Amino acid sequence: MSDKAYEKQNPAFYALLVALIFMSVGPIVLMFANSFKLDVDITSGTGGLLFMPTIQNYETALCDVLWYEPEHLDFCGLKFGGAFINSLVIALVSTVLTLVIGCMAAYALVRFRFMGRDAASLTTLMVRMVPPAVLLVPVFGLWNNEFCLDKDGLVGGMIRDSFGGRGDVCLAGTHSGIILIYVAMNLPFVIWILQSFIMQVPRSLEEAARVDGAGPFQVFFKIVLPLIKPGLAAAAIFTFRIAWNEYLLASALSDRDTKTVPILIVNNMSEFNVEWGVIMATGMLLAVPPIIFTLFASRQIITGMTAGAVKG
Amino acid sequence: MLTYLSRTTLAASTALAVIAGAAAANPYAEYEGTTLVVNFPAHPHYDAVMQILPEFTKETGIEVEVDQLPYLKMRERQTLELAQEEGEYDLIGYVVFSKADYVYADQLENLAKYFMNPKLANPAYDPADLIDGYVYNIGFAGGDRGYLAGKTGSLFGLPYGSETSVLGYRKDIFEKHGLEVPETYDEMLALACKIPELEPGMGGLSSRAASGHHAAHAFLLHLNPLGGAIFDEEWTPVMNNAEGVQAAEALKTIVDCGPEGASTFGFGEALGAFLNGDTAMFLDTSIVAGQIDNPDKSKVVGKVGWAMHPMGTKRASQTGGFGIGIPANAEHKDAAFLLMQWLTSKEGDKMVALAGGNPSRFSTHADADVNAKFPHMATFGEALKHADPDWRPIIPVWGKINADLGTTLSKVLTEDLDIQEALDGVAQRATVIMDEAGYNTWK
Amino acid sequence: MKGQILNRMTPYFFMAPAGIIMAIALIYPLGYMMYGSLLDWNPSQSIGEAEFVGLKNYVTLFYDPAFRESLGVTLTFAFFVVIAEMIIGVGLALLLDRNIRGMSVLRTLFILPMMIAPVVVGLMWRYMYHPSIGIFNRGLDAVGLEKVDWLGQNALLSVILADIWQWTPFIFILSLAALQSLPQSALEASRIDGATGWQQIIYIKLPMMLPILIVTALLRLIDAFKVLEVILVMTEGGPGLSTEILALRISRTATEFRELGVAAAMSNYLLILLMILTVSMFAFTRWQERRATRLAAAIQEDA
Repeated sequence: MSDKAYEKQNPAFYALLVALIFMSVGPIVLMFANSFKLDVDITSGTGGLLFMPTIQNYETALCDVLWYEPEHLDFCGLKFGGAFINSLVIALVSTVLTLVIGCMAAYALVRFRFMGRDAASLTTLMVRMVPPAVLLVPVFGLWNNEFCLDKDGLVGGMIRDSFGGRGDVCLAGTHSGIILIYVAMNLPFVIWILQSFIMQVPRSLEEAARVDGAGPFQVFFKIVLPLIKPGLAAAAIFTFRIAWNEYLLASALSDRDTKTVPILIVNNMSEFNVEWGVIMATGMLLAVPPIIFTLFASRQIITGMTAGAVKG
Repeated sequence: MLTYLSRTTLAASTALAVIAGAAAANPYAEYEGTTLVVNFPAHPHYDAVMQILPEFTKETGIEVEVDQLPYLKMRERQTLELAQEEGEYDLIGYVVFSKADYVYADQLENLAKYFMNPKLANPAYDPADLIDGYVYNIGFAGGDRGYLAGKTGSLFGLPYGSETSVLGYRKDIFEKHGLEVPETYDEMLALACKIPELEPGMGGLSSRAASGHHAAHAFLLHLNPLGGAIFDEEWTPVMNNAEGVQAAEALKTIVDCGPEGASTFGFGEALGAFLNGDTAMFLDTSIVAGQIDNPDKSKVVGKVGWAMHPMGTKRASQTGGFGIGIPANAEHKDAAFLLMQWLTSKEGDKMVALAGGNPSRFSTHADADVNAKFPHMATFGEALKHADPDWRPIIPVWGKINADLGTTLSKVLTEDLDIQEALDGVAQRATVIMDEAGYNTWK
Repeated sequence: MKGQILNRMTPYFFMAPAGIIMAIALIYPLGYMMYGSLLDWNPSQSIGEAEFVGLKNYVTLFYDPAFRESLGVTLTFAFFVVIAEMIIGVGLALLLDRNIRGMSVLRTLFILPMMIAPVVVGLMWRYMYHPSIGIFNRGLDAVGLEKVDWLGQNALLSVILADIWQWTPFIFILSLAALQSLPQSALEASRIDGATGWQQIIYIKLPMMLPILIVTALLRLIDAFKVLEVILVMTEGGPGLSTEILALRISRTATEFRELGVAAAMSNYLLILLMILTVSMFAFTRWQERRATRLAAAIQEDA
């Protein structure tokens, strides 16, 4: 491809390209610009892109992690910093877990013949289409009422003693609770995508290693894993994206200490007081990690997307 | 060395004695160092409360950790928390119609035993000074019809961040065109549609109208003054009678003559339009006054006058907003009561009013300092006299009927559904709901 | 001997963590939901305290005009979103399938919208659609046109537009990949035969891309039923029920109306709908594969 000369196109074509870029990136740029405006400037619309930028909105958003107290605030209402850390912990841990577990399962499904393989493979494919909304009711009920440890029991008592809190120890309201459902939700997709990458690993390599005396786990970790790195990268980005962006289930499961950023943003669109500037600033902060990923790893994302769809 | 040691011990023991002596005079001493977890709505009044809470901690040594949520979210959270055997929250702010659910499910503490406890109840509290309508509307349960004042009821919460409806108008616009501040509904509706003619590009009155509780709320604002009601004495739905239709028509007129896109306005957008100078009038809760005078948010600072909610067949302004109560499954109930009492005391009420909150005492409305800072407070105090405690039925099934009312009215506003037909449908579905809930058992 | 048993157990070791997690956090909850859908159950009860009402929730829903309307909205939304995105996405792919400088930059910019949180997309569009301060109405006003009541009279359309913005790139990227993997020989041959650009598209490119396009469309269709946050933030389902898609209705029924049983029954209806779509997708791919192998076999025989 690269040695071929680029074709010359007519100017209308370039105009179209510019229009397309404008359309896809425009809203993001607009949000970026607005996050640096005062509410009065946003609502009055004066100036368009010419305005005095202010970091006041970001100060409001990040007031709980700033080392100084912004003058314009009477009190720090938004706990954005805390939510950001929650989001980060939940997204990273669930991504790592999903990848490790998903990778192993995908390997088993591709490389071994065993009883229940077809059933497992079919179930994985079927649960992939379950929307989060369908999981809302059962997850809400189970995580709050059934998946609990008695506070007087051995483990439950220990947790209450060391971490405080009240009532029985339930999955709801904990990071682990949210991570569990994210891992479960993402597994089918990750297994599905990784299968197609593992299939491309030449069997001969694995057999050679086995002849040299490597056990199945060594083969998996030393031979297969390094070879499917691009697939892992793609799967990681997609899993991270879902765990980072998800709102519905997190909002049903989190309590005041485990709120994630999307919940904070929706809550902050309070009906009494639409503060556009601050909302845009929080939105921008939530969008930054995925944007960075996209800019640096767009190749992997595209590979992942095409692998996922085409090899369905 | 030895003398030094003994001297320090001596000093330490005197210090201890001093602390012990102070404790005797300090009702809060026993609870010093306690951390209360409270659940408050995201609401301008509670934003003001956030500003005065550090004062409470300074005075009493009781720490307060606040979980502030938008009020529907807050209700969801509370539904879950209050049902647990042991809950996380020590004090909750609740929206007025939750009173029915929580009291019915035995999830709120009856306040009698706290006001009876000489160690907790402050003799200077002066309960008579609390605004009657608010107390009965928000804190009282078990009286007439189950939710009104009456001999069989008792107190489960205190009003805090309660509100009534008032009419805000643009003094400059009214002056420019020689308009009179509307006293009656007819005048107000006529004016609402006249203003867009006088001032092209400006809407008459900005009202909430978005699908769901916004539209239902806006309807209720007009229903009571126009003489309508949700139920008659026998719990039969009557929101579809002539007065009900008139109220819905009023709402439709207001939205049609309102600013661009008014049919989808939630409260925030409706207020935003008024703050941005897009409308000449605003008819809704009194809590907005603080924002209107805030130049960071408002372009109409100093241009807004206040009047009472116009009269239909009678004056009946909104009763609503929030109250605070102690969950039955709370951990630090006594300390929670102390916080509750402190917040609603004369001093606390004045402090929160000065911070931009909604006072719940008569004395605060009449207070010179408060009036100097917020001149509208006197009008608001006057409006309170006409606040209707039976403004909406506070019964457990109201949430469901309210949601249906809100979506149906939104269809009237955006899809031109016939008003009579729409309200008949609401009444019919409400009848089924009421029947299932057992309101016809004694008929 | 011992080694052999170990070897035989290996796949199960590999499968176990995924199996256990999916069993307790997906399969069991789904079963729990199906049982819950037979109950009159509110959020302050545990499932044991709820009353068993049989299929009542399903029957109530079936006759419930609000549920039917919401189902209608969901189907309309999914249908138009997929059609529009397919047309635009494939069209752009055909147009941009050229060897130009900066194609990779272009693709990167295009996939940005789909990586951003739906919550953020929702608030971005809610702002842009705002009747007075939004950029659309300001723009219309500036050029002297009538303002549009985006999230009022035209709420469903507005929501569809936002989804098109976010997800057309998905179709675009996939169709571009499909296009670039087409065998060059067929295109070469047609060019020699003097086919015009249009003829190439209609007779060669589109038919050869078709299998991938159908899978893509089905994937997108399934995803369209999952949309929730964007609409929640933009309209909360209003005005009326005009944008209240099923996922949103489920969440409102569970949290706002406090009827977990009904919400579970609704989830089940949605699940059945999606199941049908998924099964048809499988059936299609299977059929496709079989046809491909048969064709390959036929070609080999010819040779």
